[in-house]
Amino acid sequence: MLLSLVLAAADGDAVNPMNPEKWVAGTALVVASVAFTLLMWKVWPVITKGLDERNDKILGEIKAAEDARAQAKQALADYEKSLADAREEATRTIAEARAEAQRLADEMKASNERDLAERMARAKADIEAAKKAAVADIHNHASELASTVAGRILQREISPGDQARLVEESIRELDAAGV
Amino acid sequence: MSSTLLAAGTDPLSHVVNTNKTIWWVGEIGFGTAHEVMLVLAGVITVVGLLLVSRRIRTGEESQGNERYVTKGRLAQIIEVMVIYLRDQMLEPVLGEKQTRRWAPFLLSVFFLILTVNLLGMIPFLDLQHFLGMHHIALGGTATANINVTVVFALFAFVAIQIHSFRELGFLGWLDHLTCGLTKGPKGLLLVVPIVFAVEFAGVFIKPVALAIRLFANMMGGHILLATVIMLPSMPQLALEVGGGSWLAISAATGAFAVALTFLELFVAFLQAFVFMFLTAVFISLMSHEEHEHEDHSAEEVREELAAAH
Repeated sequence: MLLSLVLAAADGDAVNPMNPEKWVAGTALVVASVAFTLLMWKVWPVITKGLDERNDKILGEIKAAEDARAQAKQALADYEKSLADAREEATRTIAEARAEAQRLADEMKASNERDLAERMARAKADIEAAKKAAVADIHNHASELASTVAGRILQREISPGDQARLVEESIRELDAAGV
Repeated sequence: MSSTLLAAGTDPLSHVVNTNKTIWWVGEIGFGTAHEVMLVLAGVITVVGLLLVSRRIRTGEESQGNERYVTKGRLAQIIEVMVIYLRDQMLEPVLGEKQTRRWAPFLLSVFFLILTVNLLGMIPFLDLQHFLGMHHIALGGTATANINVTVVFALFAFVAIQIHSFRELGFLGWLDHLTCGLTKGPKGLLLVVPIVFAVEFAGVFIKPVALAIRLFANMMGGHILLATVIMLPSMPQLALEVGGGSWLAISAATGAFAVALTFLELFVAFLQAFVFMFLTAVFISLMSHEEHEHEDHSAEEVREELAAAH
């Protein structure tokens, strides 16, 4: 079809599309020159600058967001580390306090036991002394009473030898009685 | 539209090629054809449109806060998406970051100018003027379906490629590139250097010519096909009775097909603008140091292989 049209054009029936048209070519040259010059001078630098600035802005924002995220992550890590340190410190403090309390309790217990033993020993000694004093006192009263009773019974004064003998007998009787 | 096309004749080529009629007269001096007007219109729309878009993309006042980084307006946002995609996904992998910074303004200018011309060509200005009963055609057609226009665009691509070549390689490096580094290879390969140089030197010119013909042929072919489909019911060869059942049926079928083709043309308009820009970028990248070094390396490998073979 195209060939027949071109051939027809060659026969003069239609305009040959391959005909050189200097005015069309000249117009194209001028239009293209002016258009390219204006576009390359006034348009593309502006568009490129705008696109670059937006690109830089987006990249800058992304970088800032990444930095902020990294900072937040670091802050969280620091906080968690501080928290862990605090927990560790608290645990250690509690353990030390418990150990100190245990030590003090042990010391107090030992001290108390020592005091108790001392007091018990002292009380036993006191009791023993009191017992001995009471026994001696009883001996004295008993001897006096025995002397008195014996004197009254015998209606006479007994001699010191009798008295001593009576006392010893009384003591033996008391011992036998378990006093 | 069919009636206007019927009135316009049965030659689909007449809807595609330049009218070749002088349409603007200042006294006795006439100037301007439909394609020239479309070119000027496309240039103005591209420059003014992109100037307005650039003001909506650029960073606003600080008082606007983060809003100053936001592109305002749907058109500006669409252009921005296209620019970012072309620059970052298409040009940078081919050219590298440094060369993309240098060449993206030119390549994007080429893309948007060609795209505007292509898209303007999608608007049926010629048929609208016929429809409105205008006797003098003021504008219309696709200027990129004119070989004269695409050759000029390719000329810019050629100049850009050569500027890059000489800046990157220098004259001797450029000559060395055209021999594919064979002069540094084994002496036996020197015999083929003239052939390689001739082929590569021809390629310097063939590449931009191919760019011009590809863009021209695609835009021309698509529009001829579209015009042919639309005109089909009125073709004298079919001898259909206008208003008859067959005529109506074929008109409906070709009309639906033409709508589908129009979408295809819309796609082709973007695709060809992209292909022109992208191939220019590829041709520029081929004339870089990296490519040259790569070729040197390849020549070294060839030399090693030859030595091993001996």
